[in-house]
Amino acid sequence: MPNFIERPRYFCALGGAMETITALPGAIPVLHAAPGCAGNITWTQNGGSGLQVGGYCGALHVPCSNVQEKEVVFGGVDRLREEIRHTLDIIAGELYFVITGCVTEIIGDDVRAVINQFREEGVPIIHAETGGFKGNSYYGYELVLQSLFKNYLTKGLEKKKNKVNLWGIVPFMDVFWRGNLEGLRLLLEKLGFEVNTFFTQDDTLPEIQKAGSAALNIVVSDLYGVEAAELFKEIHGTPFIVTPLPVGPSATHEFLRQAGEAAGIDPATVEKFVTQEKQRYYKYLEPLLEGYNDLDLQRHVIVIGDANYAVSLTKFLADDLGWLPELVVFSDPLNETQQQLFSQRFDLESGLQPVVVFETDTSEVIRHFKQNWPEFHGQKYYNAFAPGFVLGSSLDRELALSLGAAHLSVSFPVANRAIIDRGYTGFRGGLRLIEDLLGSCIAAR
Amino acid sequence: MSYLDNKEPPKREDRLQARIAYGGSICGLAKGKQGGCIADQERSFTQGSICLLLPGLAMLNSLPDSVVILHGAIGCGSCAHSQNANVRSGGNIRWGRVKDALWLSTALNESEVVNGGEPKLEAAIREAYRRYRPATIIVVAGCVPGIIGDDIDGVAARLQGEISAKILPVHCEGFKTKIWATAYDAVYHSLGRNLLDDPEEETRIIPDELEDLKEKHRLSRTVNLMNVSSMGRVDEQELERLLRSLGLSVNIFPVFSKPEEMYRVKYAALSISTCPTHDDYILKHLQEKYGVPYILQHMPIGIENTNHWLRDVAAFFHLEELAENIIAREVAELEEALAEFKPLFAGKKAFINAGEIRAFANAYLLTELGFEIVGIRSFHHDEFAEIEYEKLSKIAGQDYVVNIANAQPFEEANLLKKLKPDLFLGHWNGNATAAKLGIATHVIYNTGLNYIGYKGVYEMARRVYRQLKNPSFNRKACEYIRLPYHERWYEAEPFSHIKAQGGVNHA
Repeated sequence: MPNFIERPRYFCALGGAMETITALPGAIPVLHAAPGCAGNITWTQNGGSGLQVGGYCGALHVPCSNVQEKEVVFGGVDRLREEIRHTLDIIAGELYFVITGCVTEIIGDDVRAVINQFREEGVPIIHAETGGFKGNSYYGYELVLQSLFKNYLTKGLEKKKNKVNLWGIVPFMDVFWRGNLEGLRLLLEKLGFEVNTFFTQDDTLPEIQKAGSAALNIVVSDLYGVEAAELFKEIHGTPFIVTPLPVGPSATHEFLRQAGEAAGIDPATVEKFVTQEKQRYYKYLEPLLEGYNDLDLQRHVIVIGDANYAVSLTKFLADDLGWLPELVVFSDPLNETQQQLFSQRFDLESGLQPVVVFETDTSEVIRHFKQNWPEFHGQKYYNAFAPGFVLGSSLDRELALSLGAAHLSVSFPVANRAIIDRGYTGFRGGLRLIEDLLGSCIAAR
Repeated sequence: MSYLDNKEPPKREDRLQARIAYGGSICGLAKGKQGGCIADQERSFTQGSICLLLPGLAMLNSLPDSVVILHGAIGCGSCAHSQNANVRSGGNIRWGRVKDALWLSTALNESEVVNGGEPKLEAAIREAYRRYRPATIIVVAGCVPGIIGDDIDGVAARLQGEISAKILPVHCEGFKTKIWATAYDAVYHSLGRNLLDDPEEETRIIPDELEDLKEKHRLSRTVNLMNVSSMGRVDEQELERLLRSLGLSVNIFPVFSKPEEMYRVKYAALSISTCPTHDDYILKHLQEKYGVPYILQHMPIGIENTNHWLRDVAAFFHLEELAENIIAREVAELEEALAEFKPLFAGKKAFINAGEIRAFANAYLLTELGFEIVGIRSFHHDEFAEIEYEKLSKIAGQDYVVNIANAQPFEEANLLKKLKPDLFLGHWNGNATAAKLGIATHVIYNTGLNYIGYKGVYEMARRVYRQLKNPSFNRKACEYIRLPYHERWYEAEPFSHIKAQGGVNHA
C-alpha cells in the first residue's frame, strides 16, 4: 500500500456514483453527504471531463442532505427523510437514486430503512452505499450498476435471443463515454442485435428496467463493471463476456468475433460484416497514405491511461497504426492479481513488447522511462525517443514537454479538449483517433 | 488571546454570525431591520454545494514550491483538477513557466477509517519530503479525519523536527461549517501561525545607516495588497498600477506568493484588502500582533467602488489631492470609452449571483453601466455587507429581490422564471441554470479575465456587450434543454423552503 496517491486521476466512489446516475436517463442522484461533496465532484468534472459538467440533474442541482455537525452527533436519517420528501416535490425524475458519502457512512445512518419506507409508498427509489473511502470513481460506477441490477431491474423475464446489454465505459471518467457507447451500440445493431447501453440518448429507463431479458451481457472492460456482471448473472441468469475496449479495426474485429460467438451468431455473418467495415475504414484512409508516409508520421509512444485505455490504445497503436509503444503506464491502483491479468493483455499481433508498469503517480512516469530507455550522455550515435508521442491525460503534458514529444489527452483528466459525442470505439473510432493523433503531430505545420 | 493561538479558527457562523438562508429585498436589508442580524435559518430542501475545502485548495495549490497533502478519502480535493488550470496560467504569467499543481491524497480506506489514519499521514509526509523536497508541505484535513479524530496538528508537530520543509496543518472538514468562506480563515490561520517568522538574521558586517534609512523609507511606502484566488494577474496589475500612481510599493499576498517571502507582510505600512469576506481574519491579526493597520472595505469593482477604494488608501498616506487628480483623469477616460457600449445596456434587466461582496460590487458596476438590477443572490451574509446594502439601496431605481443561498439553484431557477432578466452574472459552475432558461450570461470570475479597477469596468462592459449582442447559444439551447424542476415549483413561492432552525417552512 503506497502512503499516498499523487494527483489521483479519479474521483471517489461517491463521485463516480453521482456522475453515473447523472448519465442515466431520467435518474436523479440524491446525495446523503457533507455539503461540499457535490461541488467537489462538479469542479472535478469541470477540470477533467473534457468540458462536460452535469447533465439533466447533475452539478449543483443534485439534491443533497448537506449534513452538518448536528447530524454527525445525532444521526442524519431525519434530515435524509426530509430531503427525499421535498426532492419528490421539486425535482422531476423517473428514478431517485440515493447515494452516501464518507460522513453519513461513518456515522452509520440506516439509509436502507429510509429508502424502504419510501418504496412502500410506491416511490421509484433505490440506493447504494458509496462512501468515498470505499474506493475510487470506477468503483462507484460498479456500485451503482450493482444496485440497479439488484433493485431496479425486473426479475424473471424471459430471455430474448439477440438482445444484449453492454457496459464497462464509465461516464465522465471516460470523457468519450457517449461516443464510445454509441459506436459499439451501432455496430452491434448493424449485426442484428437489440442493444441496451444504459447511458446513451437511445436508452430509456423503461427499457433499462427490462435489461434482465438480455441473452448476453458484454463488459468492454477487464475491470469496470465485471463484479456487476457476476451479480447480474446470479440474479437474472444472463451470461457475460469480458473484452478489452475495442478501438480500431483489429480490436473491433476480435470484439465482434467474440460477441458473435457468445451470442450464437453464424461466424460467416460476422466475418462478412467485418470485411465490409474494414473496407470502408481503409477506403477512408486511402488519401492519407501519401501524407502519412511523406511526413514520416510513425512515432515512438508512451501510453498512460486507465485500465481500459492503457490496453486499448496500445493495441491500436501497435497493431493498426504501426506506431511503437515503448512504455505503457496503468494509472489505476491495481492489486497483484489485476496487474498479472493486465500484463497478459499485451500479446500484440505486431510482436512488439512494450514495457508495462503500474504507476498511479504522474511525476514518477519519467523515472520509469529513464530506467527503460538508454540515457543520453553526449554520445555521437544515440537511439533517441524521437520522434516521440505521449498519449495520456492532460497531466502528462509536462512529460511530453520534457521529452520533446507531441501529446494528446485521452484518459482522465482531459482538461484541454472539449468532447461532445466523439468516440474512439469500433472502426470509425479508430479513424477519429488517427485524426486526433496526427492532428497533434502536425499542429505546427 | 488571539484566535491564532488555537489549533483551528472558529467557524464564521460563530465569529461573524454569518448566515446562508434568507429571502427578502434590498431595501428591507438596507433599513437595518434585518441587515447584519439575519436569523440563523435553514432549508427543508437543499442541493449540493461546495465546502471550505474548495476555496481553501484554490489558495493553497497556488503557492510555489509547495506540496499539498489532502488527508482524507480518495476523491476529497479532486477539485484541484479544475483549479490546476489557474495554477498553470497563474504560474506562467508570473514566472514564465507552466507548471501543474502538485497535490497528494492519503486516500484513506475502510481499514484506516476504523483504525486511524495518522500513521499513513506521517509516512506520506516523509515520502513527500523525500520525493519532492518542497519548501512547505501543506496538510489539509477533509471530513474523514475530522470524524475519526486524527490529529493533523499533532502529526505536523511530531514530524517538524525531522524535516526542513515547513509543515502547515489546515483544517477544512466540510461538515463543520456551512460558511465556505471559513476557508480563508483556515488558510490564513495556518499561514499566520507558521510562515510569518523572520528568516535567519542578515546583519550587515559594516553598518550602513543610509541604507537602513532608505529601507525604512521604502517600507513606510510599501503596502500589502491582499489578492484572492478568484483574481487573476491582470487584476493585480491594474491595482498595482493604481497604487504605484500614488507612489506606493506593492507586496502581493498570499495567493501565488512565495512561502519564504511571506514574512514581509509584517513590515508593510498598510494592508489593503479587495474583499472583506476574504481577508478580515488575517488583517485583524496583522494589526493586533504586528501593528500593521488595514483597510477592509469596498471591493474595487465598478467605477465608484474603485474611487472609494483608492481614496481610502490615499487618505491613509495623506495623498488626497493626488488621488482626486488620478480619479478625475481615470474616470473621464473610462466614461468616454464606455460610451460606445452604454446604449445597448440602457434599461436592460440584470440578475447576479456570487459571493456577497463580489455580487454587490458587480451590481453597483452594472447599475453604473445603465442596467436595472432585478435580483441579487449571495452565498452567505455577514456584517461586512451592510455598507454595500446601503450603497446599493441609494442608487437602486426600485426595490429588488435579495436571496442568501449557498448555491441552491432551485431558488434561482424559480426567481429567474419570474423575473426574466436580460443578463445573468454567475459564479463558476453557476451559469448553466440561467443558460438553460435562455438568458445571456457572463461568468463573475475567471482568473484570466480582467474585472477589477477602471480597466476591469471597461473589460467587463466589453464582454457583457458581446454576450448581449449575440446570446444565440443559450437562446437556442433553451428550446430543447430543460431544468430538472417540476412545473409546479416555478409557481411556488421561491423561499418556501427556508425555515427557522429546527422549525417549519415559512410557507
